[in-house]
Amino acid sequence: MKLLVIEDETGLRESIRDYFTDAGNICETVSDYPAALQKINVYRYDCIILDITLPQGNGLDILQSLKQSRFPDGVLIISAKNSLDDRLQGLDLGADDYLAKPFHLSELRARVMAIVRRKSFDGNHLIVFNEIQMDILAKSVTVNQQTLKLTKKEYALLLYFVANKGKVISKNALAEHLWGDEIDLSDNFDFIYSHIKNVRKKLIDAGSKDYIQSAYGMGYKFTDG
Amino acid sequence: MKLLAKYNRISLMVTIVVIIITGIIYYFTISFVLTEEIDKDLQAEEIEIFGHVKRDNRLPEIYRSEYLKISFTPVGRDSVKRHFTDVLVWDKSHKERELGRELISSVQVSGINYRISIIESTVETDDLIQVIFLITLGIILLLILTLMVINRLVITNLWKPFYQMLKQIKLFNLTDNSHIIELETAIDEFKDMNQEVTAMSLRVNNDYQELKSFVENASHELMTPLAVINSKLDTLVQSGELTDRQGTLIGEVYGMVSKMRKLNKSMLLLSKIENRIINEKETLDIQQRITDVINDFQELLAAKSLHLNPSLQQVEVLMNKEMLYILLNNLLGNAIRHNYVGGLILITLNQNQLVIANTGQPEQLKKDVIFQRFQKSADSDGSGLGLTLSREICEASGFNLTYTYEQSRHTFIIDFNRS
Repeated sequence: MKLLVIEDETGLRESIRDYFTDAGNICETVSDYPAALQKINVYRYDCIILDITLPQGNGLDILQSLKQSRFPDGVLIISAKNSLDDRLQGLDLGADDYLAKPFHLSELRARVMAIVRRKSFDGNHLIVFNEIQMDILAKSVTVNQQTLKLTKKEYALLLYFVANKGKVISKNALAEHLWGDEIDLSDNFDFIYSHIKNVRKKLIDAGSKDYIQSAYGMGYKFTDG
Repeated sequence: MKLLAKYNRISLMVTIVVIIITGIIYYFTISFVLTEEIDKDLQAEEIEIFGHVKRDNRLPEIYRSEYLKISFTPVGRDSVKRHFTDVLVWDKSHKERELGRELISSVQVSGINYRISIIESTVETDDLIQVIFLITLGIILLLILTLMVINRLVITNLWKPFYQMLKQIKLFNLTDNSHIIELETAIDEFKDMNQEVTAMSLRVNNDYQELKSFVENASHELMTPLAVINSKLDTLVQSGELTDRQGTLIGEVYGMVSKMRKLNKSMLLLSKIENRIINEKETLDIQQRITDVINDFQELLAAKSLHLNPSLQQVEVLMNKEMLYILLNNLLGNAIRHNYVGGLILITLNQNQLVIANTGQPEQLKKDVIFQRFQKSADSDGSGLGLTLSREICEASGFNLTYTYEQSRHTFIIDFNRS
């Protein structure tokens, strides 16, 4: 997977690069409008993570330029302006998704993965993680050819884990991914624990290994290592 | 009292007093002048008598006249004081007493003093005075009437810019971002007022917008550092060298960052609703939405072993989709969060209202403050903006949100028909 991060905030840019740079992934970064324009005209990426407010220009113009040249790169807009207008305008111009700052890197990664999967030309709608196979079209999960009965939320949780395999994901990130942030859940994460317990049990019952690990009491990690 | 009515009342009273006074003066002046005329007639008659006596040395013959009566009375040696006086005379032809003017004088004929009485009827003069008085009164009344009508028309017309301005001021609303338009008027005072009011409204509007955009910008600007903090935390926890104690601390920082983000988001949303920026409304099936939200919260309900008892009718409302989602999430989220384990939530939806009632703290919340910003119970971890936001959403959608505490249940009622 080859990514380009267009973001002027150094701290955020580096965090994203660190989070996405692992086996098989290349993550390039630029910090301003002219450099970004230069990059997108020369190289192709699976997904471009694009900030709207940039020095010397507007991210939406970069998006427009991409679309005018009919480049197939996926685009995910990240913006501190969570106004409806910005979001609609971005999506209207052909962005694949929109994520308001601040966000969890795990959320960003799940979104990027979804875009990359949608964009992939080989029509592969299967995600395989060892003995676990997820069909994103049918929204079904099989372990050793045995279909699991997961609720909508359990399916979403597993997909989130697989997209962020090997990473520590905070309980906050999980709760916000599954229930949105309109409800304030920070006072009680017990339900997440029981939720994860259910998924883990269903996986193990179907013959899967136990991949979900608790991490430092503040999150979870989905890993086979 | 209206300015015009007040003005009319004063001007009418002053006019009446002035007219009465001038009427009296007028009456006396005319009657004085006319009496003077009659007195001259009487004097001319007297001179004629004196002339006659001087020439013939005897009293003239008395001829009878309708308006002039002359009589001589011998008074011996007594002297008679010459004077004019008003008298009542018996008029034979009209058989009534009439007003007259008498000149009493004396003349000596052959050593005998005679008292002369010359009386002239003043009936015609009085008639004349009356006619003049009536005509004058008529003219004055007509004048007053005309003035009042003109006043009414002219003044109403003159004050028109004032009332138009007043109407604009009444309709002026900061949150509408409306302006007061300067009106065309030739009157300096109104022009002045117009300019000042218009300038003031612009100033107030600008100040308000600046304040609003400050809040909005501040909230936006805070999002970027929050994003950096969050991403650094995400990076930190990947390092793989943390103790559980450190993990717990990081978890708490995550919680605070998340709280701050929600607070910022709520503030932005509030300012947007207050600015009426969110306008796109559509017909929405509330029943369906509530069912969706309940499904979404299934795990949370289960985690607290809450009994949910929905009684929903098919109801459609016209409002913004996102707003309805936030509203339902807020209210239902509160009902879950402020409940105890094994508690109860009742949701009743009919054509007129949506009622969400839940068990919880066994005491009534303060009705007048719970909808205010940053008001929250001591044990709440919320932002303190949830209910403010809910009420603002209801208001922007033409609904009414109220709170009551009945049968040990905290009850929030949304009335779809505000009146």
